[in-house]
Amino acid sequence: MLRRIRTKLNIFTIVSVIAGLLIIIPLLNIFVELRQPASDVWIHIRTYLLARYLRNTFILIFYVALLSSVLGFFSAYIITRFDFKGRKALSWMLILPLAIPSYIMGYVYGDMMSYSGSVSRFFRSIGYYGYINVMTMQGAIIIFSLTLYPYVYMMVRGALLKQSASFSEGAQLLGASKWRVFWRIVLPLARPALVAGTLLVILETLNDYGLVEYFNVQVFSFAIFNAWFSFGDVLSAIRLSAILMLIVFAIVFLERAIRGRRRYHLHTKTRPVKRVPLKGMQKLYPIILWTILFIAFFIPVLQLLWFTRFARYGLFNLNIVYIIINSISIAVFATLITVIIALMLANFNRGRMSSIKKSWLKITNLGYAIPGAVLAIAVNIFFIDLDRLLYPVYQLFNPETGRLVISLTLTMLIFAYVLRFMAIGYNSIEASYDKIGESFTEAAYALKSSKIKTLMKIDFPLIKTGLLSAAIIVFIDVIKELPLTLILRPTNYNTMATIVHEYASDEMLVEASIPALVLILVSSIMIYILTHAKSKRGASNVR
Amino acid sequence: MYVSIEDLCFEYERKKPVLEAVSLTMEEGEVVAILGSSGSGKSTFLRVLSGLEIPRKGAITINQETLCSSKKFVDAEKREVGLVFQDYALFPHMNVYKNIAFGLSHLTKEDRKARVYEMLTLIDMEEKVNAFPHELSGGQQQRIALARALAPKPKILLLDEPFSNLDADLKHKIRKELKEIIQKTQMTSIVVTHDYDDAKAIAHRIIYLEDGKILREERLHN
Ligand SMILES: Nc1ncnc2c1ncn2[C@@H]1O[C@H](COP(=O)(O)OP(=O)(O)OP(=O)(O)O)[C@@H](O)[C@H]1O
Ligand SMILES: [Mg+2]
Repeated sequence: MLRRIRTKLNIFTIVSVIAGLLIIIPLLNIFVELRQPASDVWIHIRTYLLARYLRNTFILIFYVALLSSVLGFFSAYIITRFDFKGRKALSWMLILPLAIPSYIMGYVYGDMMSYSGSVSRFFRSIGYYGYINVMTMQGAIIIFSLTLYPYVYMMVRGALLKQSASFSEGAQLLGASKWRVFWRIVLPLARPALVAGTLLVILETLNDYGLVEYFNVQVFSFAIFNAWFSFGDVLSAIRLSAILMLIVFAIVFLERAIRGRRRYHLHTKTRPVKRVPLKGMQKLYPIILWTILFIAFFIPVLQLLWFTRFARYGLFNLNIVYIIINSISIAVFATLITVIIALMLANFNRGRMSSIKKSWLKITNLGYAIPGAVLAIAVNIFFIDLDRLLYPVYQLFNPETGRLVISLTLTMLIFAYVLRFMAIGYNSIEASYDKIGESFTEAAYALKSSKIKTLMKIDFPLIKTGLLSAAIIVFIDVIKELPLTLILRPTNYNTMATIVHEYASDEMLVEASIPALVLILVSSIMIYILTHAKSKRGASNVR
Repeated sequence: MYVSIEDLCFEYERKKPVLEAVSLTMEEGEVVAILGSSGSGKSTFLRVLSGLEIPRKGAITINQETLCSSKKFVDAEKREVGLVFQDYALFPHMNVYKNIAFGLSHLTKEDRKARVYEMLTLIDMEEKVNAFPHELSGGQQQRIALARALAPKPKILLLDEPFSNLDADLKHKIRKELKEIIQKTQMTSIVVTHDYDDAKAIAHRIIYLEDGKILREERLHN
């Protein structure tokens, strides 16, 4: 009896319980606040705007999901099944567009395609006078797809590499044409990865605020900000958040449901598929991939570089340097906390899983599904409540204390980052734990090594690469993050993301170019490290 | 001769021959075991026969039809060769019915259903028709893989190490069953193995393969 309690009440359990509570309470708050009577603003929104928000949101996520899954699947398929010059370089570079936040891509293309922009001027110089307006729903769909398809690409590429050649060969020997093998075997076997990647794309699209604001595409995150900051009505923002959350849950639930009873891999020996040379029309594939990469990465970067020529202060602007340091250090800090907690959670999750444990983990991983604007509201309410609760305690230490002590501080912002990106860190660490199995850790416990010591001495070296990739992905996400930061940052506190947003909103793209470039550069370096880190077995992530 | 393989040469990488001038003839309904140590080229031989690899040299004729020669190469999907993979390669996202029916897309729906049930009766697993591969034991998976390969009535059946994933107890039982099924269907078959007892239990003839060359053969009185 005593033994059972002791094994259950360890540090990993405690951290997991607290982490779960910290996410549930703020989210429940949103639904609790719904009891408040509807304001006039809400009645106005519901009567005149809600239908439009809903329609726009669904149109946006439907087409972004479609286009990014096609782009991601197509590129992953070509990279894993064909051999051609430059394949290795493309294999990791196709992830680079992830380094450009959607809003920055939006600002750049918005400007390039505008009447005075470089593209339109180029067209006029060759005698073509029309111009294409990208600042529309269609433009937003394309830009989201170009910046987010790498999620699908990475997931599907992993799945295709793992897919044993026996499946397609078996199908072929049963008389199936290449076409039928693709549609009935290759695609369905990669479907879980495709769906998971697409789900990430959808969640990121719902989360975005910068691009939809700039393009004036009136979707839900736009609506939440609008209700809060233009109409000044938090309660309407909360109501919109509740609806958006229901939409997100419905999508996540749908993904689980379509998986059903099928299993997508048997434990068979994996014989990797042999890559074949390109034939005939297939020779166009690399050209298509390079074109995607140019449009989604190199052209925006070159345009930003061009802008810097006109920047008045250049890099030597102390304010910008200060903001860059700010951004990077808060991202490092948030990443460290996230990864440490995620590591604890992953440890809590090891071994046999009870169903309570499983559901609890799902809760702690909910943060990523919740759009930034919603999470911001939830965290904000939570911290104000917390301040109210702790007010007597504050008074003990400082009789002159103000009412809001931790609200609107960096603590609150970092707390929100950790909640939001926990799932990403966790999933990456869990995957590497899955790979090494349990035996080493159990052997260490059997040798009377403590939990923490085992973690440091045994687990840590074994899952180093997993931890590194968790940290890198979380870091990139934090440094690009806009909506949470906009709402929760302390007054006058800026990150690269917010300053870019601020300049761009004032149509000062030239000034925005330097922080934007630094942001992209830092993220690109991270992606390079991520894709080139060698794992224990010496196999690089780039294949 | 029903099967005639002449002077088959194959290599994955240049100058490293895996099959060197392999020749073999078989009568209709004959069961041949290929016996050889690991890396001797047994699996490769089956892959070349089934059309998954292109030989550098040599000819393959089955039932008067040339599948491969210096002038001709019939693609794997058109060869009508049944192959049971070492790891079975059952499609994990399809249930037993769909797996067996996969090679029967040329039939009408009723004919297909009839054929699937015919195969399930043959391997005595009608009750598992809706199961998914991961819900089956190793031995059951193997029988389904066999049924799937036999369903389209291939001209020849190739089995790669059919017993390597089974434990010893099960092995004897499955060996007997496999032999019965092959006898019942009068299938011309090639069974690859590295175990002499397996070869002896099933085949009419044993071919010894070492380093891609046929060393000798042994006729059994099965
Ligand atoms: N895809 C491949 N590329 C390069 N070489 C290969 C490939 N597959 C097999 N080989 C080599 O060809 C030789 C024969 O391999 P094969 O798989 O045919 O042997 P096997 O007799 O089936 O062995 P086992 O009993 O272990 O299955 C081996 O030396 C192997 O290393
Ligand atoms: Mg073999």
